[in-house]
Amino acid sequence: MGLVTIAVRNVWRNKLRTVLTLSAVTVLVIFFLLLRTVIWSWTASAEQGARDRIGTRHKVSFIMQLPRRYVEEMRSIPGIKQVAHASWFGAKDPNHTDDFFGTIAVEPKEFLEVYDEIKLPKDQFETWQQDRQGAIVGDVLAKKRGWKLGQKIVLQGTIYPGNWEYHISGIYTANSPTVDRSTLYFQYKYLDESRPQRLQDQVGWVMARVDDPGRAAEIAKAVDKKFEDRDIQTLSMSERALQASFLGMVSAILRLIDVVSVVMVLIMGLILGNTIAMGVRERTHEYGVLRAIGFLPKHIVMFILSEGLVLGMLGGIIGLAIGYPFVQKGMGPAMEENLGAFFAFFRVTPELVVTSFFLAAALGLIAAIIPARNAAKLEVVSALRRVG
Amino acid sequence: MIPLSYNVRSLLVRKTTTVATALGIGLVVFVLASAFMLGTGITKTMVGAGNSSNAIVLRKGSDTEMASSLEVSTLGMIGAAPGVKRSSAGTSLLSGEIVIVIAQDKLGTQGQVSNVLVRGVPPTALEVRPEVHVVAGHPPRPGTDEVMIGKGLRGKYAGMDLEQSFDLKKNRPLKVVGVFESGGSSFESEVWCDVDTARSSFGRDGLVSSVTVRLDSPSKFDAFKATMESDKRLGLEALTEPAYYEKQSSGTSLFIKIMGGVIVFFLSGGAMIGALITMLAAVSQRQREVGTLRALGFSRFSILTSFLLESAVLSLAGGLLGIACALCMSFVKLSMMNFATWQEVTFSFDPNPAVLVGSLVFGGFMGILGGFYPALRAASVSPIEAMRD
Amino acid sequence: MGDAEKGSSKGTMISLEKVRKSFMRGKEQLDVLGGLDLTIEEGSFEALMGPSGSGKSTLLNLIAGLDQPTSGKVIINGSDIGSMSEGQRAGWRAANIGFVFQTYNLMPVLTAVENVELPLLLAKLPAAERRKRAEIALRAVGLEDRGGHLPSQLSGGQEQRVTIARAIVTDPKIIVADEPTGDLDRHSADEILKLLEKLNTEFGKTIVMVTHDPAAADRAKTVHRLDKGVLAN
Repeated sequence: MGLVTIAVRNVWRNKLRTVLTLSAVTVLVIFFLLLRTVIWSWTASAEQGARDRIGTRHKVSFIMQLPRRYVEEMRSIPGIKQVAHASWFGAKDPNHTDDFFGTIAVEPKEFLEVYDEIKLPKDQFETWQQDRQGAIVGDVLAKKRGWKLGQKIVLQGTIYPGNWEYHISGIYTANSPTVDRSTLYFQYKYLDESRPQRLQDQVGWVMARVDDPGRAAEIAKAVDKKFEDRDIQTLSMSERALQASFLGMVSAILRLIDVVSVVMVLIMGLILGNTIAMGVRERTHEYGVLRAIGFLPKHIVMFILSEGLVLGMLGGIIGLAIGYPFVQKGMGPAMEENLGAFFAFFRVTPELVVTSFFLAAALGLIAAIIPARNAAKLEVVSALRRVG
Repeated sequence: MIPLSYNVRSLLVRKTTTVATALGIGLVVFVLASAFMLGTGITKTMVGAGNSSNAIVLRKGSDTEMASSLEVSTLGMIGAAPGVKRSSAGTSLLSGEIVIVIAQDKLGTQGQVSNVLVRGVPPTALEVRPEVHVVAGHPPRPGTDEVMIGKGLRGKYAGMDLEQSFDLKKNRPLKVVGVFESGGSSFESEVWCDVDTARSSFGRDGLVSSVTVRLDSPSKFDAFKATMESDKRLGLEALTEPAYYEKQSSGTSLFIKIMGGVIVFFLSGGAMIGALITMLAAVSQRQREVGTLRALGFSRFSILTSFLLESAVLSLAGGLLGIACALCMSFVKLSMMNFATWQEVTFSFDPNPAVLVGSLVFGGFMGILGGFYPALRAASVSPIEAMRD
Repeated sequence: MGDAEKGSSKGTMISLEKVRKSFMRGKEQLDVLGGLDLTIEEGSFEALMGPSGSGKSTLLNLIAGLDQPTSGKVIINGSDIGSMSEGQRAGWRAANIGFVFQTYNLMPVLTAVENVELPLLLAKLPAAERRKRAEIALRAVGLEDRGGHLPSQLSGGQEQRVTIARAIVTDPKIIVADEPTGDLDRHSADEILKLLEKLNTEFGKTIVMVTHDPAAADRAKTVHRLDKGVLAN
């Protein structure tokens, strides 16, 4: 028998209250898992940005296009191994106009070489190359829309108005779960040949693979320098830097979510603290007896702190036991399927599991500090005078 | 009926517990109110840019001004349509504008770049949009590289303030000669320059992104719309300004409201259980007291309502605190990306009375729901308890 | 103890000289004990009686080392406990005093034998040794077969007996009891008093007991009456 035994048994003294407290902590732990996974999922795609790629776009605005000949010129810059271009098309599925997914025009061979996260079976690639109106779609998107190989689909253009017909030549997967699998890629020549002459021979942005990831920033600067004195200038950054910029724009939302996380931790702390304080108050006389027979204030403090710690840990464990499968097996796949464009990979990381557990345990401990201090400060004689 | 002062005093006796529980509820009310204040703030900011006497014409199928382009030659036909208001000089009040989003260096970051919306406007723009007022300097002169910025942009980006200049591209600086405000709408996050300057800088020869007209009155819209959309070859689409901005903001606003709803769902679950714990303890502590009340003749029903009221008072107290803090949020300005246009817009938390009152009521409801079972327990106490040890 | 030894420090267990105790209630000073002198020999069985507010509990607290006098000396078993710090007194209490309060003596989450073991946790004895001594103490009070029961499974009289077992497990010289029979029925009360008597006569414990119960007072060898903070006799 020791501190731990006493602490654990005291936690179950008032079964109803403990169950309720643990329920509240469980709800909040589940919520915490959800919240942090949302942030992680959003930013994870950013961290996955390839280190050995740089992106180049129009310096003034990402809406404006670069001349296609820039692509060729970039090939000759030292440090650049491969180059591929891409252009944002922005089409909608007329049957599901509110559903967002990306549509991008590329040069199939070059694109797959540079953007090698995408995996496409060789025969599907051949089909795509040979079909001017061919397109490949991510497997998540294909599943959602029920599109099959060889199917003909019609999309509505927003920047280039009208109906555009595509043939599904391939369905791609990715080599990593965080890569987006909800985009449609089609042949650049289909777009270029179909638009007015003054808009032809332009591309949205250029991706380039560099030979030394450590020099990515340097090479990006070299690209911009090359086009600096032209009429149309470029802005190049490593892919990592690009994602960071994007995150910067949604940083306000991420900060809001952080604030909410803090609020949640506060509420959890209040509930735990309240429960512990109630228990301590009800046992004032008992602590008085313990002090009388020789236990020191510090012993009382240890009793109460351990109880808080045990309560917190229990809450963490139960919360994880319910929350982990809920987010991982329940919400995760649902988010990935329906909001795959934003959350390609919605999973609970091991770090989050550990963090959540320690958070609950630490909160239990911290919440017990003030009640413990108050109990220790009380004089023996006063404690004994209380009833119950 | 048991007097309310009994409940209030009982709450004050157990200070710590009362405060802890009230704080918990207050926090949830704060989050709820703030989330919906932001949601309505976003709508207000975006829709605030919309005047119901104005209509905006875009190319059919384009969701935003940025994706749309119209030939300059259509301006004459649009201006001649029925319902378009004439100025005192007899010309149509219309504004053909070019809208583009540019990358600019944010101040206070290490080379982070963000998107700012630039609107190339003709001199008629200010007439068509009377809610826009120049508060410093003067509007950009036609054919020059002058711009004026919305007051929401001041201090955010390098070179964007009065008398400063920023680079559009190399050797093409734009000089900020004026600052304008527009009642907190999204225009305040925009840069306005002369439309011809925009046309040449962004390679939009012969085009505009959109045309905004002022109608004689909102009732003239239907006729105007019919005229715009009659010629299928031209492929035009007309919306009232408020409807257009509504579409622009609905995605973001809805997103915030849903997020807020989910967040509040979980947090209120926790806080309600907290209230339940507190009231249960209170009831068991006061068994003798309640027994005495029963012995004195108070009915079970009056005990039930008394404890429900106590829960309500507790949660409303917390709720008021939450509302007060939420009101403080109305001084906070948030720079967020508007999903529809990819531009960074400054939003604020709108202290909407309906939101505040609704959140307070929700807080009270939380407390009553959590306190219901304990109140039932209290009501089941028999008068004998008063005699017990 | 012979006449010559009466009053000498060797036989004297408890000695209070000119002891005063005052409390501050807000701005007012309440004098509970006024200039008390009291001597208790080793092996005595003393009862403290008096009306409510007479200061008998306060006096007991001083004797037990639970509190300090405002002025005067409290010397117990040779130690001047009035001048000890709170921490020192706690350790002193663990070694010298066994406590029996009126109610709620035991920790409800621990079994009877675990409750009796509690004081031994302070002595830092190994678990096996603690268990052995606790069982011996339980046997002394006749509850060796109830060791694994929780207090909620025991009657009031049994709870008090377990309390007494706990009070003697460290073999202290003094047992301090505050209304030990206050919550018990006549039969159980008599059992407890018989037990206390046994501890006094067979084991030589000095017992100081505050009580309202005339039957308890009868069992004691000496009765001190307090009124308004002074001893009557």
